[in-house]
Amino acid sequence: MRSGIAILAVAAFASVPLWLRDPYLMNALITTGIFIIAAMSLNLLLGFTGQLSLGHVAFFGIGAYVSALTSLGFDVPLPGDFHIVHDPWPPIAGFALAVVIAGLCGYLVGRLSFRVRGAYFVIVTISFAEVVRLVALNWVELTQGPLALNNIPSIALPLPGFGELVLRTKLQNYYLVLAVAVAAYALISRLVKSHFGRAMRGLMENEALAISVGIDVTRTLTLAAVISAAIAGAAGSLYAHYIRIIDPEVFAFINTVTMVIMVISGGKGSLAGPVVGGLIFGLMPVFLRPIMTPEAQWIAYGGVLILILFVLPRGIVPSLTQRLAKRRKGIGAIHPVAFSKSSAEEHAS
Amino acid sequence: MSEFLQHLVNMLVLGGTYALLGIGLTLIFGIMNVVNFTHGVLYTFGAYIMFIVVNQLGLNFFLALPVAVIAGWLLGAAVELILLRPLRGSDIDTTMLVMIGAWIAMQSGTLWIWGGVAKSVTTPFPDEPLVLGSVSVSWLRLFVLAAAALLIVATYLLVNRTKLGCAMRATFQDQDTASLMGVNVDLIYTSTFAIGSSLAAAAGALLGPVYVIFPQMGDLAAVKAFAIVILGGLGNITGAVIGGFILALAEELGAGYVSSGYRDAMGFLIIIAVLIFKPTGLFARSERVG
Amino acid sequence: MIRTIKYVPTAALAAVLLSGQAGAQTIKIGVNEPLTGAFAASGTYVVNGAKIAADEINAKGGVLGKKIELVIEDNKSNPTEAAAVAEKLINSDKTPVMMGAWGSSLTLAVMPKLMEYETPMVVETSSSGKITTSGNPYVFRISPPSAVEAVAFRNIVDKLALKKVDFLVINNDWGRGTAEDFGKMFKEKGITVGLVETMDQGAQDMSAQLAKIKGSDAETVIVTTAVDQLTLIFKQAAALGMKKRIITTGGSQNPDQIIAQAGAAANGTMHLTTFLPWFPEKTPNPEATSYFISEWKKRGFDFAGCTESFRGYDGIRTAAAAIEKAGKAEPAAIKAAMWDIKVKGLNGDIVFRKSGPEGKESGQSQPNVYLIEISDGKIGMKSL
Repeated sequence: MRSGIAILAVAAFASVPLWLRDPYLMNALITTGIFIIAAMSLNLLLGFTGQLSLGHVAFFGIGAYVSALTSLGFDVPLPGDFHIVHDPWPPIAGFALAVVIAGLCGYLVGRLSFRVRGAYFVIVTISFAEVVRLVALNWVELTQGPLALNNIPSIALPLPGFGELVLRTKLQNYYLVLAVAVAAYALISRLVKSHFGRAMRGLMENEALAISVGIDVTRTLTLAAVISAAIAGAAGSLYAHYIRIIDPEVFAFINTVTMVIMVISGGKGSLAGPVVGGLIFGLMPVFLRPIMTPEAQWIAYGGVLILILFVLPRGIVPSLTQRLAKRRKGIGAIHPVAFSKSSAEEHAS
Repeated sequence: MSEFLQHLVNMLVLGGTYALLGIGLTLIFGIMNVVNFTHGVLYTFGAYIMFIVVNQLGLNFFLALPVAVIAGWLLGAAVELILLRPLRGSDIDTTMLVMIGAWIAMQSGTLWIWGGVAKSVTTPFPDEPLVLGSVSVSWLRLFVLAAAALLIVATYLLVNRTKLGCAMRATFQDQDTASLMGVNVDLIYTSTFAIGSSLAAAAGALLGPVYVIFPQMGDLAAVKAFAIVILGGLGNITGAVIGGFILALAEELGAGYVSSGYRDAMGFLIIIAVLIFKPTGLFARSERVG
Repeated sequence: MIRTIKYVPTAALAAVLLSGQAGAQTIKIGVNEPLTGAFAASGTYVVNGAKIAADEINAKGGVLGKKIELVIEDNKSNPTEAAAVAEKLINSDKTPVMMGAWGSSLTLAVMPKLMEYETPMVVETSSSGKITTSGNPYVFRISPPSAVEAVAFRNIVDKLALKKVDFLVINNDWGRGTAEDFGKMFKEKGITVGLVETMDQGAQDMSAQLAKIKGSDAETVIVTTAVDQLTLIFKQAAALGMKKRIITTGGSQNPDQIIAQAGAAANGTMHLTTFLPWFPEKTPNPEATSYFISEWKKRGFDFAGCTESFRGYDGIRTAAAAIEKAGKAEPAAIKAAMWDIKVKGLNGDIVFRKSGPEGKESGQSQPNVYLIEISDGKIGMKSL
């Protein structure tokens, strides 16, 4: 049943360019799609392992910068008259490198951060993101600092025998983002439903019990961090080659907050949650633009976040599925989602 | 050498205000285990109160400071009552996220009301600095240092010598036992959050006139507060004071001798380094990680 | 244009989506400026200056017999948003020419869109050298990059008898570019360059850098940053007892605001500005300057904003002149016409000269610079 809905959704998304012609809205959809990919990757850590990583934007930004620098080339002077010179590579290589290096950073951060838990973990992840931002801002020789890397080339897909297809138009980029999003969704979905996924959720529910059953905490968390970071890096690379300009503001804490709002409001721990949350909060600014100033919008987002945490703490998607399940199967039905209190209570009655 | 002495003097003044920020947060973080993202907003709030009282209402500068402290106390209490009390007992993630939501809403509100143009507070001090040999320090900064020292001592006495302070420390050590012994835990929580917030407001009220006032000024201050708390150990007031001076020293010397661009990175680097190598902080007496 | 063919089947929907193209009774000029975010104050000044220009032009009959309409959009001080706004202005609002986008990073973000959609833009404030040397033939700048400022300053330098100079600049291309271009010019004149200190865009405490400069043996400090940090620097320099000669550059100084906020700490400081709203009789076009300032005051705007808003005024007049010269409101014609116009700007004649790689030059105009001094809380021309 679930996969039926998923296929319908993908088909719906794929059909959008056929009837939506306004390039401005297409632009908004594409950037929203990229943020959704990042939100899905955050959900892996936040929703399925229970780790509140608030530095996630670091992986997104690192992916963006790596991809941009790989395809632009650079010449960085080092103390002692040495230079690191890199000639431009095709953007596809940039994408691959972005995924790999972001994943590597995820590994490092995972290994270092998971030695502490809870609030300390949150603070370390925030600090990591801020340090990366300051490096991007100050290491001007490499990153151009606040002046930004611009003229980043669009992604070109090598077609053996036909040469190259440069993805320059909105239409092409839309399908590229859709393809990567679907791939990321599928990957996360399989991961969550696998043995590894159960290990992650076991950790989230009861760490001591999980350890006693033999789950290796550090290995599980680190692996989740690597995959999460790699997907975020992929999103960052898409961002760099679509917007074609990257500045250190990509690391701003507010971007992490945006992703967090998307995940929490959509429903952490649910696969479709980030997609729903992402669509809402990615497109809302576009529609609110003529009516509300950005400050007023952010006041609203802050308020919405608080409201959701009070009223629908599990997020939109899980609450909706719960209600639909109740209505369809009646009270007392056996539902494999044993985490929800209400169905357990119904059992008891 | 004179340059070094000048750096040292700068560091002392900065350290005092950082210490205030840190103490406020260590009380909240230590006793309530709340990752208080609104701490920076309270700092900003204190600064704008100074602006309103001194520049807009035209009242005495020295009276404005207590007003800012009290205003911060009230706002902190309100936040605790409205947002935190209903969530008591929820997991730490939910609380943290609610604090983030409050932070965004409040900071955007500040931006909406005041706009982004920075404001200056008129101070009653002479413009010429006090010169001691080759070192200069402005009268304003000396006042700030004195006021900060006063508040730090007052807080220390409050926490260690009064009944309220005793109840706070008891709740920190063992909430259930304290409650069984008759401590009104709800009141303690609200008071602690309010006191911590008022200290943040005080820091903002003191530093606002030194620099300029603008809506996002609290962001960096908040991060530095966290760095100090982690450095000094959760709930450890003396640790927070020393941590404040250490951070100021690292920033001042780092900016002076290493690289001025990375000055504000010092706080973050300290956080990361301490949490990797000595997660309980440099001075923590009790072992508590996470 | 080819795109309009695709719109025909969805004409009804398009008519709703696209804004007011009914019969094209007005000529639209896009305005891409930061109205919120870090640069909101400056962007707002520029937009208000632009509005004065538009009203003045319309009062005199408009351009090519039609009224001009400013389509103003907020780029939120964010490069990504600036690019998105450019998209909207060009594709949804169909503006044949734009003005924007205030800061260098914002303008650089918009430039690829100009190439992609072949639409010209008048750059009114940005100062990065890159903008006119990247080979983008759709860029026409009326504000001076630091290289042009350095050349203009050169003539004044001899009279100031500088011997050794330190720099305190904001840590971005604008600040570093100034240090580089001015440094080169100083060396040619035999003036020694000492320290080059930088500060972050958001930094509040420059005491460390100032302490270092205080201890150096240079007698002059060149400071390049925006007005908020200048205020802080002057206050902190005074608090440290740093008594060197301070000269600021960059065109974002807003001396009135500095006097208001830094008070006595601002006395004795000198500023290289690109406009003289305090002495209209000393500007190249006293009549036009007086008109602009009186209009500005009539609308109740803050006088301090004149130092930035005049660029919005000149920018729109430049765009309008190009449209008039082109004879039609079409991007390609307007772009070609830019090279042929000569506008009496408030700061000198606006004539575009070629800048950048051959074959794809951008346009750069050469405005005047003036040296003013603050003493006793008042602004005066530095007598040399």
